[in-house]
Amino acid sequence: MEWATVKPAAFDYAAPTSLAEALTLLGDPDRDATVLAGGQSLLPMLNMRLARPELVVDIGRIPNLAGIEEREGALVFGAMTTKAAVESSALVLRQQPLLHAATKLVGHPQIRSRGTVGGSMAQADPAAEYPAVAVATGGWMRAVGADGERTIPAADFFVTCLTTGLAPGELLVEVGIPALSAGTGWSFTELSRRHGDFAMAGVAVTVRLDRAGCFEESRIVVFGVGDIPTRMSAAEELLRGERPEPSLYRRAADAVRDAFDAPMSDIHASAEYRLHLAGVLAERGIADAVARAHPGEEGPNR
Amino acid sequence: MSLDCLPVTERRWIGRDVVRVEDRSLLTGRTRFIDDVVLPGMLHCAILRSPFPHARIIQIDTSRAEALPGVAAVVTGADALAWCQPARSTPEGWGLRCLASDTAHFVGEPIAAVAAASRAAAEDALEAIDVEYEPLEPVTDPFRAMSGDSPLVMEGKGTNVMFHRVFTWGEVDAAFAGAEHVFTEKFRWNRVGANPTETFGTVCEWDPGTLELCVYGSIQAASSAALGCAGTFGIPSSKVTVKSQHHGGSFGGKGGARGIVVASMLSRKAGGRPVKWIEDRSEYLVAGGGQAWDRHYEASIAVSGGRVTALSVTLVDDLGASGEGFGALGAAKPLAAFTGPYEIPTARYDLSLVATNKTPVFPYRGMGPPPHFFVLEQMMDIAARALEIDPAEFRRANFIPADRFPYTIPSGNEYDSGNYGEVLDAALSLAGYAELRREQEEARKQGRLMGVGVVSTVEPGVFDWNAYAIVGMPQTGVPEGATVSIDILGSITVRVGFSMEGQGQYTLVSQLVADYFHVDMDAVSVVQLDTRSAPPSFGPGGSRLGVAISAAVLGACQRLTGTLRRVAAALLRAPEDQIELWDGNFVLKDRSGGALSVAKVAATMLARSDLLPPGVDPLPEATYVWTAPGRTPADDEGRAKSYLTAAQAVHVVVVEIDPDTGVVEILKYAVADDCGVRLNPATVEGQLDGSIAQGIGAALYEEYVYDEEGQPLVATLADYLIPTINEIPVTQKTAVVTPSPFTPLGAKGCGEGAIHTTPAAVMCAINDAMAPRGVLLTEVPASPQRVWKTIREANR
Amino acid sequence: MSSTNGTRPVRVTVNGTVHEATVEPRTTLSELLRSQLGLTGTHVGCEHGVCGVCTVLIDGKAVRSCLTLAVQVDGSEILTVEGLAAADGTLHPLQEAFSAEHGLQCGFCTPGFLMAVYALLTEKPDAGEDEIREVLGGQLCRCTGYQSILRSVMRAAAQFRESKLEWVR
Repeated sequence: MEWATVKPAAFDYAAPTSLAEALTLLGDPDRDATVLAGGQSLLPMLNMRLARPELVVDIGRIPNLAGIEEREGALVFGAMTTKAAVESSALVLRQQPLLHAATKLVGHPQIRSRGTVGGSMAQADPAAEYPAVAVATGGWMRAVGADGERTIPAADFFVTCLTTGLAPGELLVEVGIPALSAGTGWSFTELSRRHGDFAMAGVAVTVRLDRAGCFEESRIVVFGVGDIPTRMSAAEELLRGERPEPSLYRRAADAVRDAFDAPMSDIHASAEYRLHLAGVLAERGIADAVARAHPGEEGPNR
Repeated sequence: MSLDCLPVTERRWIGRDVVRVEDRSLLTGRTRFIDDVVLPGMLHCAILRSPFPHARIIQIDTSRAEALPGVAAVVTGADALAWCQPARSTPEGWGLRCLASDTAHFVGEPIAAVAAASRAAAEDALEAIDVEYEPLEPVTDPFRAMSGDSPLVMEGKGTNVMFHRVFTWGEVDAAFAGAEHVFTEKFRWNRVGANPTETFGTVCEWDPGTLELCVYGSIQAASSAALGCAGTFGIPSSKVTVKSQHHGGSFGGKGGARGIVVASMLSRKAGGRPVKWIEDRSEYLVAGGGQAWDRHYEASIAVSGGRVTALSVTLVDDLGASGEGFGALGAAKPLAAFTGPYEIPTARYDLSLVATNKTPVFPYRGMGPPPHFFVLEQMMDIAARALEIDPAEFRRANFIPADRFPYTIPSGNEYDSGNYGEVLDAALSLAGYAELRREQEEARKQGRLMGVGVVSTVEPGVFDWNAYAIVGMPQTGVPEGATVSIDILGSITVRVGFSMEGQGQYTLVSQLVADYFHVDMDAVSVVQLDTRSAPPSFGPGGSRLGVAISAAVLGACQRLTGTLRRVAAALLRAPEDQIELWDGNFVLKDRSGGALSVAKVAATMLARSDLLPPGVDPLPEATYVWTAPGRTPADDEGRAKSYLTAAQAVHVVVVEIDPDTGVVEILKYAVADDCGVRLNPATVEGQLDGSIAQGIGAALYEEYVYDEEGQPLVATLADYLIPTINEIPVTQKTAVVTPSPFTPLGAKGCGEGAIHTTPAAVMCAINDAMAPRGVLLTEVPASPQRVWKTIREANR
Repeated sequence: MSSTNGTRPVRVTVNGTVHEATVEPRTTLSELLRSQLGLTGTHVGCEHGVCGVCTVLIDGKAVRSCLTLAVQVDGSEILTVEGLAAADGTLHPLQEAFSAEHGLQCGFCTPGFLMAVYALLTEKPDAGEDEIREVLGGQLCRCTGYQSILRSVMRAAAQFRESKLEWVR
């Protein structure tokens, strides 16, 4: 192993007070700059000198980067919105209970008090909850760069382990999570060694049932197994049009297990065990989501 | 023997739940821990460590580091060769120097160190040290290490086997040959360890004027550290002062000897400026004192007529790359309780201590018996299951009967007292055992994996060096001293040689003295002296300090009373033998005449030379040093009366396993124990709770993992899984009190406590749960992955 | 504010007192408190955010001071364990509860626990056992096994609901 340290290597620091200023700093091709949001992932990396940026750009003093608002059927989070703010938001609890449930599983309150929505997305840890929520809900990221802004669907945002589709010099400024539509059943299930640890595997599920009570549409996203949160298209396809029942969930679980070529492996969970867990959690997660669904209901969730 | 020896009508403090005197300073952030110590001119140390488990060091170039601003000194293995001896070790001759010079033996072994103006600057300088390594083939499997074709961890030794010996107690072969049933199983206990919330730290000052070394540190055993420094540097022990700071727990695994030597060398090289080294958490996890018990077991028991007649245990104990952590003591200590609470007449112990290219192992709470009892208790359950006997009743049938104490076990130690059947009854009743078995039957009908563990163990208390004689600790006796003095205003000060580390011993001292002299606890101060000033002291360890310091304080109070009584007799004009101390006053035994308070007598001694009887010094002070009496040297089979007391406990644990995920949930946890008289019941309970939590960690969560190449895979607390509150069950507890006949107040050692029992109990419950599937998990910790794999074997 | 080399000034209010200090950007809040302001009651146990012994309050929220840069808190209000007891040394009710219930042994983790619980109870005076456990779950203690800590906090919470004024610092 590389030897770990405990004090960061020296770096320059800037705390821009406008987006334009931040983009100028981040856009300098001659400087290796890192964005500091809440710091709950970056600081451990800095302390251990696993991250050694020349320049740390603290975006915490840019106005209007934190906050939760409702816009066109989605909840829009400023990148600097803390998870504590998400957790205590009545709007989130009402409109996007899946996100609320996932938030409770992110670390501990003492981490959520500083950890941010944007930070989790940009960190793109394969075992983290927020990227999985973004993919499962069909969320999007709004990034701003020197050449203007663009919106990136969550499905395209997560590229591989700890890597996103943000271009050099681009800053993630907003995260959109569509509200859960009325009648949609959901679940967020994970298994970690201790409460608050990164998941060995986890599954986010949303389902819509038609008037006959059969699966109309479902989204199943597995995290902690592949290098990014991954939609289980085969399992989703398998459910479509079928009547919910345990044997179907078991077949869906098998489809989940078949979806991964090279699952992650670490000291807590081998690839084989992770794959097994993904299936178990998918089976349970689908059942839980179905139990929360209201067949045939339409429209926004109020 | 009992609290009745105190000269008061009513005890106000000892034996009661007393708020601790330590708390106020800790709660306000005032207690000065080692990292809070700042000395003028102090430098900060950072250590460069080997990234290889086994490598030749071709060359080290420190010139770039030395040229950096703020860097005051750099040391390497060359300095260590010039200035230091290798560390003392068990077995002897297996110690390494503090910095590797030609060969690196494990990942994290110190290679070089820097003293600079700040820790950050010192870490910057590490990056400017260039080391050229030639990687060598490592050995990480102790069985391979014992074979002829293995790479050698220490070339000069010619072998990786540090120690091998077979101990035979009684006619073991005959007992196995004649047994109705013999059961044999292999077990694996993976590395776990102490991990106190504060790591090790030290500030060392090598005074070039006096040529003396002064060491501050978060040190569990200050006097041992001082002797170690003297030996390592080849200087008189009278030139070394160690002052242990109050510290954030140790549990046997604080470690730190290397850090002291490295920081001292840096101080010497920096012209005597003090050097602080604070071990960071990753250093602690990878290469500190936190790894213990890396064990491969094979065990057999012989059973005839429902009684265990023989126990045989083969242990291959992987001690890592050096004997410097005294991890070998943990393999020797099971002799103090080899057969647990059972009357097993014959036993054998085949013990191999093996070197590998992994971090050296250190002690941990319990010091070796916890894995041994894990093995013994699984064997008891394996036998009970095969013979279709209730596991609680199988244990009861094999218990040492209450009328047999003091009882000598085959491996030589003597248990002072106990009533194991009563403790078992208390535990079963508390847990509602009969009902639990009915619930289990229901659960099994539904296909649920619910299990009950009923486990009984003995905790040897008040350690003695002779317990470790077989691996090279020849002494008998571990003295602990205290000085009690009264000032002219009647305030009482007790001077001791150990620091606070969490067990509440300063409170215990205050309780005892306050009751003895009938004053408020506030009137007693406890002061820690450094190693050159203190009376002989070992400090906490081996479940000893509560018994040892209370005995020392009691002895000092009694001795001081003798002196005061001479003065009181003169003042009261009565014969000395007619006067006694009672409720804080010297009075005539027949209660005629006056009374003189202790304070007044002491003040008279100090202030009135005219009233001082001839031959009495004006010194209202006494020192008493206690050591456990009646300990014996080990005989040729390692048998010794070693630990003074034997506490005992029964834990009943109920678990349910999720067969799909392998997750174990603890549904119920009940404890009955007997650690004799409880001097501060609330702190005893605290030790018990904390030890249960560490036991659950060892049983289900904690593990130091290495890959096959010897790379440690655990370097953060995100991977070393110390349980949080959410992993620890709420426990029910009850106590049985059998006073120890051998200790002055009837208390038994209880500090290590439940970790002896908890891992065994949790594992027995897990295996009971899986029994209908016909599988057995023989490896700890029972991580979800391991449990799932075990269940899956049954499904195949 | 633009990028600068070397050290930077920070101004923070700690336990009601304004402090001005000059720090390297890489200085963490825990280091600022301990080394520069002499407030050594905040301890450091892992420096990767897991153990929680360094927990302090920033603008009323419990955070890891090892995972926060000193430059980030310029202008903020910090509360540390030194700010809990009254100026005359009278223990805060939360501290009293920990002592009464033996909620500490070695005491190294205790300041972190106190600050995490203080943040919870001042924000949610009616926090029940589940919420208390959730917060305690973010703090490691190696001595107590947590049972006495939970009792301490439950006792303090009950007391807090009765007399809020004594509490808030």
